[in-house]
Amino acid sequence: MVVDAGFIAIGAGIAVGLAGIGAGMGEQAIGAAAVGAMAEDEKFFGKGLLMTVIPESIAIFGLVVALILLFVFGA
Amino acid sequence: MGVSNNIKYAYIVARVRAMKSKLIPREMYPKFLNMEIPEITRYIEESGYKKDVDELGKKYRGTDLIEHALNQNLALTYRKLIEVSQDEANYLITEYLRSWDIWNIKTILRGKFSGVSEDEILEDVVSGGQLKYRDITEIVKIGTIEGVIASFAKTPYYKALEGYRGDLARIENALDLLYYSNLINAVTSTGNKLFLKFLKTEIDLKNLKMLFRMKRAGMERDEIIKNLIPGGMELKESDFVRLASLSMGDFVRALEEYSYWNAISDISGELTSLRDIEMRLDKYGLTYASRISYYYPLSILPILDYILSKKIEVDNVRIIVRGKETSLPDDIIKAHLVM
Repeated sequence: MVVDAGFIAIGAGIAVGLAGIGAGMGEQAIGAAAVGAMAEDEKFFGKGLLMTVIPESIAIFGLVVALILLFVFGA
Repeated sequence: MGVSNNIKYAYIVARVRAMKSKLIPREMYPKFLNMEIPEITRYIEESGYKKDVDELGKKYRGTDLIEHALNQNLALTYRKLIEVSQDEANYLITEYLRSWDIWNIKTILRGKFSGVSEDEILEDVVSGGQLKYRDITEIVKIGTIEGVIASFAKTPYYKALEGYRGDLARIENALDLLYYSNLINAVTSTGNKLFLKFLKTEIDLKNLKMLFRMKRAGMERDEIIKNLIPGGMELKESDFVRLASLSMGDFVRALEEYSYWNAISDISGELTSLRDIEMRLDKYGLTYASRISYYYPLSILPILDYILSKKIEVDNVRIIVRGKETSLPDDIIKAHLVM
């Protein structure tokens, strides 16, 4: 039904959106710290980058949930 | 502390941690004792002091070069902390580092009081606070103490200086009291409880050092109480009255009630040298700052820990270099180091 498909799409959107916001909140402190450490020593670039992208996994979880919603329940 | 405050501190704390990792490692100090002054200069040059040694190398040689390079580096490091910090951290660091303004004012006044040359006064100046080196050099040129005091008329320190009637110790004490009361007000206004806790402990340690000094000098009870700084964590004003009235032996025994006792438990009131007691208290302060900075990693504490560690590093190198210059035995130099 069209209404069900609409709810699924909204659910997928919320999953991706909230996960993105959460990842962003996690990244801002880590990113600031990474830039601070790199300003003192360029050698921290690799470690800083790695640490900054760790919260990105939350966004991926959100995306996975959205894809499940769309392709498993929406099919 | 809210999330946004944590983020503000994340940048400066990461930067300060990276700066701390570049400090001279503790295990280097015993090695310095086996080196000659040119070797130490070379090591210092290869570490974080290169720019300062290169810059001052044309003007100074040997121990004077190291001394000036250390002072310049310390001042620039502290200035950098003020420049790279923001909002609350910036305000608190600026207020805390005003202690160097107090140090510089005292240095100038003492120099003028004892008729020391301008160069010798400037040797001990560290422009890590709000007074710029250029302004200090102008003030040092003034011939009289009254003139020096008048030059501070537009600064917040004038309140403590204006009562000068030939008694230097009295205004030095007034400067300390003014600094700590202003700092307590500043910290209280931000509501930063961690800094307040650190500051109160620092005041206690300073009071303990002064109590030992004044008791050794045989000062009167009222005179001792007048010189102590109110606002400490464990040593309240009622403790001042009690501790100031005791004899040296009883005073040392009375300290068992305080948490600082662990740092000085093996001292003997009359026999242990003042420097030894002060060194233990300094070490306690350093360990305390380092410990609590790990409990609260995204706060002002790691910055304060770095400020202390940097000062101790500069003091240690200076002690080693000056000790070597005067051919002091290694064990005496080592006893003076805070490690």
